[in-house]
Amino acid sequence: MTSLSSPIDIALVIIGEVLVSIGVFCGLVAAIGMLRFPNFFVRLHAATVGSIGGAFVPIIGAALIALGSDFLDYKWLFFGSLIVTAVMVMLVSPAGSHALARATHRAKVAPVEPKAVDHLEEDEDNKKKEETANV
Amino acid sequence: MIILPIYAISFALYIVRVLKGPTISDTVLAIDALSFETIAFMAIFAIFFKSLLLIPVAILLSVWTYALDVFVAKYLEKKEMGD
Repeated sequence: MTSLSSPIDIALVIIGEVLVSIGVFCGLVAAIGMLRFPNFFVRLHAATVGSIGGAFVPIIGAALIALGSDFLDYKWLFFGSLIVTAVMVMLVSPAGSHALARATHRAKVAPVEPKAVDHLEEDEDNKKKEETANV
Repeated sequence: MIILPIYAISFALYIVRVLKGPTISDTVLAIDALSFETIAFMAIFAIFFKSLLLIPVAILLSVWTYALDVFVAKYLEKKEMGD
């Protein structure tokens, strides 16, 4: 940073660097969890930490760094496209993992292991019983 | 530049889960998380190298990840790839 930059720019760069550090930490923790957790439905938690904490937060931090920096030529273009990327990740990641989890539960590929109550399975069993009773 | 080895370690751990995963769902979930980490990596390195061309690649990579999720979910539910 040169001495010409204003205090708002310095604050934006510092907040952005803190957000990028949080994102890198979340990415490492999510990778360790993805390796150590026992089955698929527990690993969904690690995937959420890795996609929201490990991708959404550092992209917002990179956008703030681009807005506060003075070495980029098109800093508003960097800021806007990075915000669009962050919103895209925020929309796409929960929808995709939800669809994958629902399909895995329906196809009975992975076991639902630490289970207290499973309303989806009960509903499907009830629907199957009604269909057989109607036929 | 201290973030580069940490990202390399997390990529290696994700790739271990991709190769090891017992079911197809584990593999696809690990590929998802790996893709989102790659998107964040590209966003940070677009600032670092002052290269604007890395950001549209990151947006397209997120859309392809969603497409992979939906294809695999449809295959697991109906055992077909969508005609």
